[in-house]
Amino acid sequence: MVAKLTFVERQIALLILGIITILGLVMASLGAGDALGVHGFIVLFAGLGLIFAVGGSLYAPEPIEDRSREYYDDPIKIGIVLAMIWAMIGMGVGDWVAWMLAFPDLRFDAAWSSFGRLRPVHTTGIIFGFGGNALIATSMHVMQRTSRARLAGQISPWFVLLGYNLFVILATTGYVMGVTQSKEYAEAEWYADIWLVVVWVVYFVLYIRTLARRNEPHIYVANWYYLAFILVVAMLHIVNNLAVPASFTAAKSYSLFSGVQDAMTQWWYGHNAVAFFLTAGFLGMLYYYLPKRAQRPIYSYRLSILSFWGIVFFYIWVGSHHLHYTALPHWVQTLGVTFSVMLLVPSWASAGNALMTLNGAWHKVRDDATLRFMFVAAVFYGLSTFEGSFMAIRPVNSLSHYTDWTVGHVHAGSMGWVALITFGAIYAAVPLIWRRDDMYSWRLVEWHFWLALAGTVIYIFAMWNSGIVQGLMWRTYNDVGTLQYSFMDTVVAMHPYYIARAIGGLLFLIGAVIGFYNILMTIRAARSEDRLLDHPTDSEACEPAVPVAE
Amino acid sequence: MIRWLKKLYYPIQAGHYRLERHSMGLALGIVAAASVGGLVEIAPLFTIDETVESAPEMRVYTPLEQAGRDIYVREGCYLCHSQMIRTLADEVDRYGPYSLAVESQYDHPMLWGSKRTGPDLARLGGKYSDDWHVAHLIDPRAVVPDSVMPHYAFLADAQLEIASLPARLAALRKVGVPYTDAMIEAAEQDALGQARPDTDRADAVMERYGEDTQVRNFDGDSGRLTEMDALVAYLQILGRLTDVAHATDPATIKAGLEAAQ
Amino acid sequence: MTVNKRDPLTGHHTTGHEWDGITELNTRVPLTIWWFILVSHLYALIAWVLLPAWPGITDYTKGILGVDQRQQVERQVAMMRELRADWRDQMVALPVDEIRANPALAAIIAGTGPALYGDNCAACHGPSGQGGPGYPSLVDEAWLWGGDPDAIMETLRVGINADHPETRFAQMPAFDGVLERNQIRTVALYVQSLSGIETNPDPDQLAAGKELFMDNCASCHGEDATGNTDLGAPNLTDDSWIYGGDSSSLFATILHGRAGWMPSWEARLDEADRKILTVYLMDLKDRESVQ
Ligand code: HEC
Ligand code: HEC
Ligand code: HEC
Ligand code: HEM
Ligand code: HEM
Ligand SMILES: [Ca+2]
Ligand SMILES: [Ca+2]
Ligand SMILES: [Cu+2]
Repeated sequence: MVAKLTFVERQIALLILGIITILGLVMASLGAGDALGVHGFIVLFAGLGLIFAVGGSLYAPEPIEDRSREYYDDPIKIGIVLAMIWAMIGMGVGDWVAWMLAFPDLRFDAAWSSFGRLRPVHTTGIIFGFGGNALIATSMHVMQRTSRARLAGQISPWFVLLGYNLFVILATTGYVMGVTQSKEYAEAEWYADIWLVVVWVVYFVLYIRTLARRNEPHIYVANWYYLAFILVVAMLHIVNNLAVPASFTAAKSYSLFSGVQDAMTQWWYGHNAVAFFLTAGFLGMLYYYLPKRAQRPIYSYRLSILSFWGIVFFYIWVGSHHLHYTALPHWVQTLGVTFSVMLLVPSWASAGNALMTLNGAWHKVRDDATLRFMFVAAVFYGLSTFEGSFMAIRPVNSLSHYTDWTVGHVHAGSMGWVALITFGAIYAAVPLIWRRDDMYSWRLVEWHFWLALAGTVIYIFAMWNSGIVQGLMWRTYNDVGTLQYSFMDTVVAMHPYYIARAIGGLLFLIGAVIGFYNILMTIRAARSEDRLLDHPTDSEACEPAVPVAE
Repeated sequence: MIRWLKKLYYPIQAGHYRLERHSMGLALGIVAAASVGGLVEIAPLFTIDETVESAPEMRVYTPLEQAGRDIYVREGCYLCHSQMIRTLADEVDRYGPYSLAVESQYDHPMLWGSKRTGPDLARLGGKYSDDWHVAHLIDPRAVVPDSVMPHYAFLADAQLEIASLPARLAALRKVGVPYTDAMIEAAEQDALGQARPDTDRADAVMERYGEDTQVRNFDGDSGRLTEMDALVAYLQILGRLTDVAHATDPATIKAGLEAAQ
Repeated sequence: MTVNKRDPLTGHHTTGHEWDGITELNTRVPLTIWWFILVSHLYALIAWVLLPAWPGITDYTKGILGVDQRQQVERQVAMMRELRADWRDQMVALPVDEIRANPALAAIIAGTGPALYGDNCAACHGPSGQGGPGYPSLVDEAWLWGGDPDAIMETLRVGINADHPETRFAQMPAFDGVLERNQIRTVALYVQSLSGIETNPDPDQLAAGKELFMDNCASCHGEDATGNTDLGAPNLTDDSWIYGGDSSSLFATILHGRAGWMPSWEARLDEADRKILTVYLMDLKDRESVQ
């Protein structure tokens, strides 16, 4: 991989790594005795390790071919492998904490292994580790192909990918040490937050410069979504993480906002982490890999426009549906409900657009598990957005809020939609990027598909049941008008559902392990000779002015 | 109406067709469209007075309680416990008066929570004894056989780190909590004093934070100031920084109305 | 110039572009979507008119229904209270015996007691009132403050060693420094002998223990050690223990003293609730003694 860099580029890389190593050293010495110091050492070793890797081939022969004639896929390869590694970590910890809720002593007798410290490792590991790496890798893949241009940088893609992973490592190792801001999905502390801003700015510049180099007059829909993902996540991240560190030699900081304003800001962020991380980015993925695999045109360009802008505009308003009946003023809640209902239109428009695209390719959905992953993902996307809009209605939320119904909804969206579309996209991309004829074993893809589907369905049904049972038990009055159940009655009632959920999660995890194995075996397989046209080419010159109106 | 909507759509599409050729234009469009909602919903929460009730007598967390709150955050208790009683009859019946915005005005960040694996803790202060909390945190299933809460026995052995408390209070003052210079300066002493009722330091705590401040040896181990002391002190103050919420109780309101008539 | 390429399968026009083999159809937005938009936006509009919705700088639109969640819940809570008022007034007014004799009221206790007890008392006194180390059993015959309903009601109202101004106060003093350690062991042996625990001490020791007891303990626990319900001093001759009757627990009790902390419930539970709990405890105890 270093072999593809020129001598000068290797030197620049070393310079950047040197700066990072020094930063690590500074953190390690300033933060001695605090978790900040431990993180300093992590940064230090990450920097040193990479210096070693680059420095070792510093004088290796330089590339002779014209690099602009081919796509830059090395960072994508690493990104996909990293995504799968984080999938193992995130889902492994997820299933562990799931078992812990049924059998609380299934842990080590140590502070780091308690539910409260591990749960954020699950959410961050899976959303940012697995999801984020998949998004970065596929965005680079999709952007190059749909722009017919090589990435606009040799080092910056590596900086984005590895710098981002450093953030996720700092975040997750922080939680087990007790370093957290407690802001859901933004728990990492101030220094990791600042680092992510740096990485993200480079990501944006890389993306926009590559788009600027494109050999296509128009920007493809998938790129609109990736662009929205990058831009809006930056906005959300910066505002939600504003905080004052108690000292620059320790990890602890205090959020700039408090109470009700903090609540609204956190859920403005939290919901839109769902919208722009877990939805927009993955819709970008869907918009490339699904039509590509099905070899069918997108059903409707016009529907794409409508749903894209609908999603960008409406989503931002709905965060307050996480705060129904709370001390947040009623007027904000009304806005949250109404915008959530209106949001269903663009959500279903995109799900519908994806499903209608499969018209004429249903036989492929039947035969090809990779495409089936994407098809089922689109179905779950439609399902979970419907469920979400339904749960956003205040009286419904009064039942679902605080219960496992929310957790069920989350996993319909995250397992059913996010994870399945990612697996589909990875299965589609791996043979292309590594220039293989096909995956190592299509049977294993089938196994993965059915395990994932079964796991998801078991998980969701268990959580619907437990959530609704618990919500109803909390509010059940007996006929003389007093509460029927104590809180502990409801904890006891959850037990069987928690076991079922943990089993569902285990199936899902086993599927993912099989998938990872399959990917690794594919990588080890022989390279096939020259695949189809997969390098930057010139655009067709004739650019139509306006498409014909139907 | 539908027809009219559709007519409107053609020029939009043509405009879009041009927009999607310009990456920066597209980027600006996205930022503009995605900014509106947040601005409209968040900014007024700072300017509309009614948003946060007034509670003039409300006090700030003592250094020991704040240290306990930081442990609550560190251990992720908020992932299982809410601190927000909703405006629903059954929650008022089970937990007490619904939570008001002012009750968390010094909470940086707020800990309202989003999942109730365990019960709401907004009005926990005073509901149980210190001893019970200690026993429960050391081994929840020893006192509540069916509990699924993790045990936190190590808290009773962990010395509380207090050297950073002045800096922590100072940071909180920067973000708006009205700590005085004296409070920041004496933070370490006050943390020690609140858990040692038999010392002069204890009087100083009451002087700074009010006569009602709970000054007790929270973990039952008078030799050391532990993380258990801090966490229990925090749990015992939940819902008791101000009692304005109790004024929302219908019975109180009704009585007040009748008295006014 | 317009594009005229068509998808052979559906016959729809395409937009004329192709990205890495992907093309797009220029299909119309289906009519259902337009209807969908219309309906959802109408719904939103109506909600905005009826409910509090749009903010300005210092105020927000209140909506023509003039509702607000706080006033809604206060009305609901008041309604629930109204619904319960009848029987709750009776609970407060009637003596416990009459409540227990009245089938309707007894049924209410059976329906209401468990959840009330479960949410407030079970944490300390155990799910079935059996108590645990540090927390007295509520289903045995031993009462610190007397087992009659009024005593229990009063305990619930003011608590024991609690922060209520009229709280009951009960303290077992620490004898650390007052008695030698071997004296403590001696008196502990005597206490054990009172409740028939087999330890076989020699008679001299017992006599010494008894003397120590008379000098130091009898003032509260009584000469016969059957306790004093005015002081909350427990009976030491029965086999029910709060902190345990084994020698190490006894040693700790006498050395360090004890002061159990029972919360006052006056601010959390109203009089009817406390009465329900009182009756519920008596039912619980009766059920226990049947078994
Ligand atoms: C895995 C979820 C979980 C975590 C994490 C958790 N708890 Fe709990 N908690 C529970 C459950 C379930 C109950 C109800 C059973 C019981 O009382 O143990 C409970 C009960 C409680 C109670 C009693 C509340 C009442 O009114 O009866 C307190 C106090 C409490 N927890 C404090 C904490 C603190 C402090 C932490 C963090 C250090 C914490 N919990 C972490 C699940 C959790
Ligand atoms: C924080 C723990 C705790 C909770 C919660 C609690 N109790 Fe107690 N209770 C105690 C302790 C400790 C004692 C004994 C005090 C002593 O040792 O002097 C006690 C004593 C009592 C007594 C007096 C027993 C006697 O022998 O005279 C009654 C009656 C009682 N509790 C009932 C209740 C009821 C009913 C509730 C629920 C509304 C409740 N308790 C909740 C800790 C608790
Ligand atoms: C000032 C009054 C007082 C004196 C003197 C006193 N006690 Fe107590 N004792 C109490 C009270 C009150 C309690 C109940 C404390 C509680 O429940 O928290 C108690 C509790 C006990 C218990 C615990 C019973 C159980 O169920 O676990 C023992 C044992 C005991 N006393 C023994 C003694 C002995 C032996 C002496 C003398 C050396 C003594 N007490 C002197 C007031 C007194
Ligand atoms: C192996 C499969 C999985 C298992 C067993 C699992 C298990 C869990 C558990 C036990 C929780 C905590 C719920 C609670 O607090 O009660 C949780 C929360 C969560 N999980 Fe998973 N999970 C899995 C897969 C995923 C995936 C693939 C994603 C995302 C891509 C995901 C995203 C989340 C999120 C966002 C939450 C937080 C939910 C909330 O706060 O409401 N999970 N998961
Ligand atoms: C139209 C689309 C959607 C709407 C209106 C919506 C609405 C909601 C609502 C009302 C809640 C419950 C809030 C509460 O009571 O606490 C929720 C929670 C959540 N949803 Fe959705 N949802 C949508 C789509 C999705 C999708 C596609 C995903 C996942 C990929 C997702 C992930 C989540 C997560 C992670 C939470 C839990 C937040 C937390 O409490 O930690 N949602 N959503
Ligand atoms: Ca953060
Ligand atoms: Ca949550
Ligand atoms: Cu949401």
